[in-house]
Amino acid sequence: MRDVGWQWRDLPTGLVMIAPSALVLGAFLVYPLVKTVSLGRQRCNESGTRCVTTGWDQYSDVWRSDEFQQALWVTGKFTLLVVPIGLALGIGLAMLADRYLRGIGIFRAIFSSTVATSVAVASLMWFFLLQPDVGVIPNIGWVEDLFGVVKEPGLLRDPGTALTSVAMSSVWAGLGFTFILVTAGLQGIPADLHEAAAIDGAGGFRRFWSVTLPMLGPTLLFVVVVLTSRAFQAYGEIDLLTDGGPDPQQSTTTVTYLVYGDSSVVRSDAGLQATTAVWLFVILLVLAALQLRGFGRRVHYGD
Amino acid sequence: MATEHQGLEIDRVTGWRMAPRYALLVVVSVIVLFPVYTTVIAALKPGDKVLDNPLVPDAFTLDVLRNAWERGNLDRYLLNSAVVALVVTFMQVVTAVLSAYAFSFLHFPGRNLLFFAFLATLLIPIEATMVVNLQTIDSLGWKNSYQGLAVPFFATAFGTFLMRQVFLQLPRDMRDAATIDGVGHLGFLRHVAIPLVRPTIGAMALFAFLSTWNMYLWPVLVADEEEWRTVQSGLKQLAAAGIDEPNLIQAGTVIAAIPVAAVLLLFQRQLVRGLTAGAVKG
Amino acid sequence: MSAFVARRRRLAMVVAFAAVVAAACSSGDPILDAGIDPTAPPPPPQTAAPGETLPPTIPATTTTTPFADLPECPVDALGDGDDPVEVTYWHGLGGESEEALKDLVAGYHDSQDRVRVRLQNQGGYNETIDKYLQSGADGRPELVLMPEYMLAQMVDSESVVPADVCVNESDFDMSAFLPRVRSAYVTGGVLWGMPFNVSGPVLYFNKKMFRKAGLDPNKPPETLEEIRRYSQRLVDSGASGTGIALDSGQDNGGGWFLEQWFAKGKKLYADNANGRSAPATQVLYDDQFGVDLLSDVRKLVDDGLAAHVGANPSGYDSFLKLADPKRPAAMTIGTSAALGTLITTLDGGLVPGITSEQFGVGPMPGPATQPGVLLGGASLYVVADKDDEQTAAAWDFVEYAVSAEVQSTWASRTGYVPVRSDAIDIEPLRTTYDDDPRFKVAYDQLNAATEDPSAFGPVIGPLREIRATNSNAVGAILNGADPAAELEKAASQANRLIRNYNTLNN
Repeated sequence: MRDVGWQWRDLPTGLVMIAPSALVLGAFLVYPLVKTVSLGRQRCNESGTRCVTTGWDQYSDVWRSDEFQQALWVTGKFTLLVVPIGLALGIGLAMLADRYLRGIGIFRAIFSSTVATSVAVASLMWFFLLQPDVGVIPNIGWVEDLFGVVKEPGLLRDPGTALTSVAMSSVWAGLGFTFILVTAGLQGIPADLHEAAAIDGAGGFRRFWSVTLPMLGPTLLFVVVVLTSRAFQAYGEIDLLTDGGPDPQQSTTTVTYLVYGDSSVVRSDAGLQATTAVWLFVILLVLAALQLRGFGRRVHYGD
Repeated sequence: MATEHQGLEIDRVTGWRMAPRYALLVVVSVIVLFPVYTTVIAALKPGDKVLDNPLVPDAFTLDVLRNAWERGNLDRYLLNSAVVALVVTFMQVVTAVLSAYAFSFLHFPGRNLLFFAFLATLLIPIEATMVVNLQTIDSLGWKNSYQGLAVPFFATAFGTFLMRQVFLQLPRDMRDAATIDGVGHLGFLRHVAIPLVRPTIGAMALFAFLSTWNMYLWPVLVADEEEWRTVQSGLKQLAAAGIDEPNLIQAGTVIAAIPVAAVLLLFQRQLVRGLTAGAVKG
Repeated sequence: MSAFVARRRRLAMVVAFAAVVAAACSSGDPILDAGIDPTAPPPPPQTAAPGETLPPTIPATTTTTPFADLPECPVDALGDGDDPVEVTYWHGLGGESEEALKDLVAGYHDSQDRVRVRLQNQGGYNETIDKYLQSGADGRPELVLMPEYMLAQMVDSESVVPADVCVNESDFDMSAFLPRVRSAYVTGGVLWGMPFNVSGPVLYFNKKMFRKAGLDPNKPPETLEEIRRYSQRLVDSGASGTGIALDSGQDNGGGWFLEQWFAKGKKLYADNANGRSAPATQVLYDDQFGVDLLSDVRKLVDDGLAAHVGANPSGYDSFLKLADPKRPAAMTIGTSAALGTLITTLDGGLVPGITSEQFGVGPMPGPATQPGVLLGGASLYVVADKDDEQTAAAWDFVEYAVSAEVQSTWASRTGYVPVRSDAIDIEPLRTTYDDDPRFKVAYDQLNAATEDPSAFGPVIGPLREIRATNSNAVGAILNGADPAAELEKAASQANRLIRNYNTLNN
């Protein structure tokens, strides 16, 4: 950008124009963050009318506590399920639909369609599919013979399968988003690269690994970033499907659910909630920093 | 969702070799659509037939949809969602355009520092703020109101970032020429800058609308009275509502999904543009 | 190798490292101890400030003369003014109950023109509680309907006029009230809330399946041994897929039923006479009785005689199990308040081949030591710190709402149990009970008089959270965890909740 010196006369105008955004961001992002950190040093009663300050130890106590570690573990597992599977399926669908066929537009529309579902809608659709008494899948005859757990006690009620089931509903909901992005990324790959590789004797499969995938790099990275933060922040799916999950391990209580969930033990204490929320923020911050560093190099800021 | 890209010439197959490709596409489509299919079927069946044949549409009625609409208070929920989403979309565009203009066309001291501060807020996830935001909203008396549902989202750093990106791509000379002609900031904004970046504004607006419409956690926390629930948080009420009509949830889900599907169909192009704005280079 | 793949590898390594670090950092302590020094002694017993007297520790059923220290109830302040006095009434009822409440208020308005009641539905019990506790004195209504587990918190909030004070002032005759219903809301010898809508747990069972298995549908099982025997017959004869559907939700099997079974076993759930003679300091349910009880229930599940339907957040999962086309259950325990809905559902054809007549209702099964059950539902509280006129108006409405005629209509319409025995001799309830005795089962259970404090249920501040903790434990046990370990964990969690509650609220 052409270097123009600072112009003081722009200051009042500038501040006025920035004010609306700054006010909202300050009041609802920055201030809460600061206040939450201080609230995290307190323990409060159920109604929030009385709080007692306990000190910074509360932070380390919460981090090291059973429930929090368990939630970390669950969140990690959930992310490791949702991200790779979602990514792989998204790539698969995009590759599948990246063909010169009549009517391919319809299939593309179908593959993108889940982007129209919200978390609530998608989770409820899956709830109806999986409910062991009156749901769709458990009542299909042969399913029960092959996979007993689907019916008794039900995928969402068995501590071993609940998290995976919630993850699958999340993956499904994110398919459309991933598909659209990867398809757009495929567009960006110059055709001559493929042609050159084909001339060199590379078959479809080889071309995928050495041309397509590397060129999709930035797109895939972006998808991973978004899917990972979404996974860490997952709440709606858990609230609607399992309510924190069948015990004994609170098998679907992620860190976010630990903070806000109906059945979470932390819910009755705003101070504890704040402590846990701050830790969630720290985790997301670290994740974002890691990912932005690799990804930021590739994004052109236009400066 | 049509994109212009039709695949590579070198991958093109013709004749009988198209068949396995089509077969695979159909199978995958069936799997992807399965949840939607079962839900829609259940929503259109009378309550007592729902359990019989979940995969086959052997009965048809619109009664359940009607019931979900009335009993489930869905008209009120949809209204709330619509009002909140529209207001937030409008305000996000306004605040983003204003601050982006200041960050790109004005040169006041401290500008870069302020912009960096804006960007830094991108790192603050909304979940970390909700406990305190809830207290703030409560003390303002805004729980169970449109203000409470909407105001915290009136501005996003991402919106400012995006609009600034696109403003910076406008030629400098345009601004200089306008200044010489005596056009002030607001005039330039209204008559020159905004019309030129309309596609990006469109994409941003669509995105703001969709993400506000789909929000779940905040409406659940802020609006616990029936009157003020949004479609997303209200669906949970339906789930607990009536055992005597077990497919009420499915009907509610279908009704909830229709507005979004309609919006997306209308604004496909903006959606793709919006999603890819962050992903593709440049 | 492309940079993208290298990036993913690095990310995976970081995640793995973090997991290792996190795991190594676990202290194994419960999150409820965070920030609190667990070795600190519990708060010392209350000492009286100079000049004040402390209410003595008394057995739950002994009445005292506490009124000097309690808020006043000026029942005669209504006077003969021109304008009606308006009182606001917060509640969380929905559906048919809400409609019945609206009609009740309309009836009240028809019967007099001195008081007008403004109903405000908060959306549910939880919302009512949150809103009430967080409002200051000016934000509160004159009347509020609070669920039974809120008794301790309402007393501790020091924001209500105990019903007993008003009863005394106005010589209100409570002799016809069901003893258990009245005692449920008495703590420290004082009646705090006026019981209004009462329910109790009952056994729902499929008579058709009973007959098919050769069981007498007029003699439903009443103890856990009988449940086992009946279930065995039902399953062996192929009449049903499993015997009884049990859930582990906090408002049902996991939380509430545990209290019920302790009461039926004549065992105290918490110390200080279940928290009724003095605030409870710890729970007592992690003893052998509790372990044996839950082990037996778990054995039912293991032997295929019971089905664990999970945490049941909607409240309907246990009923849905009865409608399971492949492997239905023949029995379940649920609240009596669901009877009306169940009848409507079955008559609507939800379960093919079953009509509502084919369903029976029996008393809640459990240990036979002490018959009867603990009640569920809610009670009306008159809020303090209001104008005399408003307090008097609020009490006037309360008297109306629990009069025999009104309770008869209310119970008949909603399926709740009337709070007084003379209501069952009045229409329409008399006909309702005559026509369909199933509605009377819950009433009979609550009519069993006793003086033993274990029969009235626990009064603890964080009772709701304790039930949630218990439900997690019961769910874990039914899923295969060790009963003794889980109960102990739940009890220490409950004790923590009590300790935190007492620390923060005193």
